Amino acid sequence: MYSIIVVPPPTTEGEHETPQLRLAPGERLTFGRSPADNGLTIAHEGVSRAAGEITAHSAYWILSNLSAHQTYVVENPEGAGEHIKVGPGRLDAPVPFEFSRIVLPAAGDLLPIEVWAPRHDYLRSPGGLDGATTAPAFSVDRTKRYFAVLAALCEPRLRGAPHAPLPTVDQVVDRLIPHWPSVTRTTVQWNIDYLAVKLRLKPGPDTADTGPRLNGKKESLVSLALRFDLVREDDLVVLAASRDRTAR
Amino acid sequence: MSDPYAVPVPEGYRVGAWEVGAPIATGAFGSVYEARLRTDAPPPRARPADPDESAPPPGVDGPHGLPGTAALKFLPTGTRTPRQLTHLRELAEREVELLRRLRSAPRLIRLYETLTVDDPERPGLDGATVLVLEKAEGSLAALLARTPRPGDGPALLAQICEGLAQLHRAGWVHGDLKPANVLLMRDGSARLADFNMAAELEGTHAYTPAFSTPDYTPPELLWSEIGERGRRIRPSADVWAFGVLSHLVLTGSYPLPGGTPSARRDAAVAYARGTDELRLSPLLPEAWRQIVRDCLARTHRERVGGEALLRRVEKAAGAPRSPRALPRRVDGRRTVRGGRAVLGAVAGVVTAAVVGYGISALADDGSGRPRPGTENSATASTPGTGAAHYGAAELRTDKGIPVAYRRLIVDSAHDCVQAQVTPALIAAMLKAESDFDARLADPALDEYGIARWTPRVLRFYLRSDGRPTERIPEPPFTPAQSVPAVGRYLCAIAPRLDVGLKGDERVLIAASYRTSYKKVNDAGGVPPKVRAYADRVAHYLKEYTPPGKK
Repeated sequence: MYSIIVVPPPTTEGEHETPQLRLAPGERLTFGRSPADNGLTIAHEGVSRAAGEITAHSAYWILSNLSAHQTYVVENPEGAGEHIKVGPGRLDAPVPFEFSRIVLPAAGDLLPIEVWAPRHDYLRSPGGLDGATTAPAFSVDRTKRYFAVLAALCEPRLRGAPHAPLPTVDQVVDRLIPHWPSVTRTTVQWNIDYLAVKLRLKPGPDTADTGPRLNGKKESLVSLALRFDLVREDDLVVLAASRDRTAR
Repeated sequence: MSDPYAVPVPEGYRVGAWEVGAPIATGAFGSVYEARLRTDAPPPRARPADPDESAPPPGVDGPHGLPGTAALKFLPTGTRTPRQLTHLRELAEREVELLRRLRSAPRLIRLYETLTVDDPERPGLDGATVLVLEKAEGSLAALLARTPRPGDGPALLAQICEGLAQLHRAGWVHGDLKPANVLLMRDGSARLADFNMAAELEGTHAYTPAFSTPDYTPPELLWSEIGERGRRIRPSADVWAFGVLSHLVLTGSYPLPGGTPSARRDAAVAYARGTDELRLSPLLPEAWRQIVRDCLARTHRERVGGEALLRRVEKAAGAPRSPRALPRRVDGRRTVRGGRAVLGAVAGVVTAAVVGYGISALADDGSGRPRPGTENSATASTPGTGAAHYGAAELRTDKGIPVAYRRLIVDSAHDCVQAQVTPALIAAMLKAESDFDARLADPALDEYGIARWTPRVLRFYLRSDGRPTERIPEPPFTPAQSVPAVGRYLCAIAPRLDVGLKGDERVLIAASYRTSYKKVNDAGGVPPKVRAYADRVAHYLKEYTPPGKK
């Protein structure tokens, strides 16, 4: 029932070892240098003892800046520079992004805390979100990169070969690179992991490693996406040359 | 492009014998139109979706055995319809399958036939699946929009609950219970409709497509994991939805606070996590407070279920307790209306059966085999008072049916919603099979026990939850195992027999038990090979049925 995922900043020892934290609506997570009072301890001298607080709120989250002097910037990594600033002492500032990176200035370093809000709702067919209408359980943003990755994965099967082999991660990179020059194997894999979280596939991204396991995950993603029409043939335009969102 | 109607169909359009009239409603997937039966001209532009469906069910008036008016539900399953979506085909199939299998459940909307539009000139319609359904006067949603707290709310809720109980007993989950899916008939009674999300239970779960209506979704399914087969759902999800619906009907508001669906969704999450309490409206009548609370229990395990819920709802509604909860039923007569049995009275209580004669021994212990201790079941248990007259209204007491088996026979028949599966039929079959000899063993034919079960077939009917046992059960089989399994098997056979076969439906069911429903369908009646057996069943059926009953 969580709606928010917090990815702690990478630590010096072991990069992927810090576990993700999942928050349900109403749950709070405090972060800061002091291990005593914080749900998330950031062991860096430049960070306040009580630096801030993240509260999951419905499908979005709010941020309190508890530091005395530092302004936190919350960036939208896919937003071409889109960001908000949360000044010192500001409480409960709402953050509207599906992906966010809180950047904590810490004695010359910038420490990123990533926060994902995978439950954001998006309009499907005509008509709004209405509590009495039967709605699919998934909600995807067709302008996000994860959607381009999903479309690239589904493409061979949507183009008419129902049992076509899925593209490899490298092939997905090749397919996306004309419109997304910075794409790499890692970003594609990251997006596949994120899709598994967003579409609530059974194994979480922190338990699934790369390699053969990823293949199973791709297969599950594609069959789910096709079964529930998350990607349709006309959605493949996101792969077409006319679209260039990095130039925005 | 965003036509408000999922499937626009022009007025006057002909599908099969039907002429489409005014639109009634549209949902996320399909659209429903009024239709009139036309008697002229052969039906153009449609073919029966399923040959079985082309024959009307018995007891329907009208020139083709069809009613004069109906509601046509169009699902755009064609390959070129603009809104063609892969999952729609699956949704359509679910609804058709459920309605075919539960044809005689009186609280579910009736399906008369299914058609497929065959009209290449209209790509928007070509290939669409058309369900010809009983026409209702309106929906509960429409009623609530006019009258937020309808005076007959409690009675309607009792009927809705009865419909859910019928579904659950038959092993299905509705999956999308809400006011728009409750239809009100001309006589003011309620029926459940819209089974696109319905799913047949596989053990304790069913898999439904990953669609839901936020305000009626239990918290454990909000953002639940979804596998390739869809979302795992339990009957308790319907119970939650019933709790929400009851609160809405009785108080005019949702049970969880919040002005928007997402605020209410958060409230549901907070409540389920235990960080908030349930605060029901003070307008909720006292008799209903605890019922709604028990439907809205935090976890699915704590939620009240099935028969217990139905009995409490009926009591709170002041509805005459429908005779389904029958351990001590006096009058087991079925009301026959329009040639079809009204089944409120028919299905027995699974829980009562368990208490009644140690069938609990059949509960799954993981090995797929009954636990030891089953022997002191029906045969040995001291029958309660009146055991000799148990179910006397449907099963004669003076024809030598062993008293020890009466309760077992009557309850097993009542566990099935199919009207043709009667106590007299089961008794007649046991007589013809084994002459009520529980110790029968016929290794040559591989048949054992009072019902001459073949172990590899019994496997599929031994468990009350409909799952096959892990291993093929080994004889001996006690009557407490054999007889309920007969009830379940007959219940599975009844809806699969073609309409219009020659002979008494009940005898045809018995003949299918001996051979298979497929052989009976193929033979168009009782196959010659089992003629003698069928005659014996027919003979005892007549003998065991009380005078004045069919």
